[in-house]
Amino acid sequence: MKRYTTIAFCMLFFAFVGKQNLFVVPKNFPPPVYDFKNNPLSVHKIFLGRTLFYDPILSTNNTISCESCHSPFSAFTHIDHALSHGINDSIGTRNSPALMNLAWQKSFMWDGAIHNLDMQALAPISHPAEMGSNMKEVVEKLNTSPKYRQLFYQAYKDSVASGENTLKAISQFMLTLVSANSKYDQVMRNEVSFTEQEFNGYLLFKKNCASCHTEPLFTNGNFENNGLPIDTQLQDLGRMRITGMAQDSLKFKVPSLRNIAYSFPYMHDGRFKKLTDVLNHYSKGIVASKTLLPQLNGNFTLNSNEKVDLISFLLTLSEKEFVFNPKFQYPK
Amino acid sequence: MQKELDLFFMKEPTQKTKVFEILFLMFLLLSFGLNGFCQQSEKVKIGVLVNFANQPIVLHDSNYVLKDGSFVKFEILKFYLSNLQLLLNNKVIYAEPNSYHLIDCAVLSSQNIFLGLSQNIAFDAVKFNLGIDSLTNVSGAMGGNLDPVNGMYWTWQSGYINAKIEGSCLLSPEEKKEFEFHLGGYQNPFNPLQTIELNTTSSNFNIALSLDAFFANIDLAKQKNIMLPSIDAVTLSKRLSKCFSIQ
Repeated sequence: MKRYTTIAFCMLFFAFVGKQNLFVVPKNFPPPVYDFKNNPLSVHKIFLGRTLFYDPILSTNNTISCESCHSPFSAFTHIDHALSHGINDSIGTRNSPALMNLAWQKSFMWDGAIHNLDMQALAPISHPAEMGSNMKEVVEKLNTSPKYRQLFYQAYKDSVASGENTLKAISQFMLTLVSANSKYDQVMRNEVSFTEQEFNGYLLFKKNCASCHTEPLFTNGNFENNGLPIDTQLQDLGRMRITGMAQDSLKFKVPSLRNIAYSFPYMHDGRFKKLTDVLNHYSKGIVASKTLLPQLNGNFTLNSNEKVDLISFLLTLSEKEFVFNPKFQYPK
Repeated sequence: MQKELDLFFMKEPTQKTKVFEILFLMFLLLSFGLNGFCQQSEKVKIGVLVNFANQPIVLHDSNYVLKDGSFVKFEILKFYLSNLQLLLNNKVIYAEPNSYHLIDCAVLSSQNIFLGLSQNIAFDAVKFNLGIDSLTNVSGAMGGNLDPVNGMYWTWQSGYINAKIEGSCLLSPEEKKEFEFHLGGYQNPFNPLQTIELNTTSSNFNIALSLDAFFANIDLAKQKNIMLPSIDAVTLSKRLSKCFSIQ
């Protein structure tokens, strides 16, 4: 009897430990926004989501996967492409955002059109210039695939795919994309220290950037107009498209700066290729308008040494482990 | 008591107990069967009918006549009824749990709603929402009637489409003479959710949606498309909510 109790305890313990490891809130992070109770993580569901993420089956002509525009090696964005492209070489209107720490994100897309991670994948699946499909078509295709019937059975004890289970599985994989072990994080945990240049950059960052790119996620999740001249071809008004309010004109979501060295080009339309281009914009390229973020009204002045220091700090936000994590890559 | 239990489960069954057991089992089966049968027939049933000038709507083929004499044809008619409640003297006496019904004119079975309670309940009104409430809108991916495969969830931005009314009419300036009303959204100031309360005491009643009343106030030559949350979507949702009645 005693032996059985011990075994039962051990099993319970390992079940508990096993569950805990699927998603750990980093010590310096706030509680996540995503409601895990509605979609409890499991190894099989994450694997199903990861398989879907890398599978062009999600697009109408089986050519484009999530990974096409969100490659792990660029912190899950579309490297070298200012505007991302989808099926039949269609070009979109925005730069695909890097994917990380999505459990802490309140809204998705540059204009916050999507309010829940579960619903995010619907947008690229349905957009005619991205995957050009729809959820019904996707689910029908998945249900005729013996591979997916097996994966769905393993994940949900039901081999039939539904829209809900498909979307939730994709969420599960995306939730595991946590980046919280950059040099910056290690410094914050007192494991290593900044160089003098990085430290000076950190001070400049706190003075000039941190009100929007707030630590530790390096975004406050808000929408702001950062003074970019409007692209006359794209005529993208950003957040205003969603709210219909003039006060949101030209506002876009403040992106996280984590892994920024990997996720070029920058801005909602990918107009800047290098970090120096970005800093040059903030120091001398700001276009004044009614909705311009007040902090940017001529307050951002950095000399060239300071710019170099600031960039050296920004590079401490890179996490090689995240970008090359085999658990995040093409499932084998 | 213990003795009886022993008799039933532990002891070698005698001829007598065997007969008793079989009789008892038969009685159990019969009573469960009857019970199930009775429950099925006694549940409060709500039929949902979509009409145009008292004619039931048939998608794709039939033409219906607008006030000015022009013909209108329907291709898609889908809408959500949610949060169904029965009231007595303005008090809620029954609230259907997990109450989300997608009424689809193309799916006959979607037009019958069986509430999980028997007909011997007294009520004098039925109350429901036309559309999906804002809390459900922000609660992530859902299944069944709320599954995005139903095509009632916007993809370019988040939010349910409460009602889809699509068809064609020569008045429409569109090339293919189509009109498309997608009434949805959940955020203020453009939250189109409507609550409807209708009086009825029958436990087997029909809720009718009369589309002639809805189209009586729309000029399809001017207003033929609504595809996003807007003040127009709110106005049309209000108008649609006034077209429900008990039949």
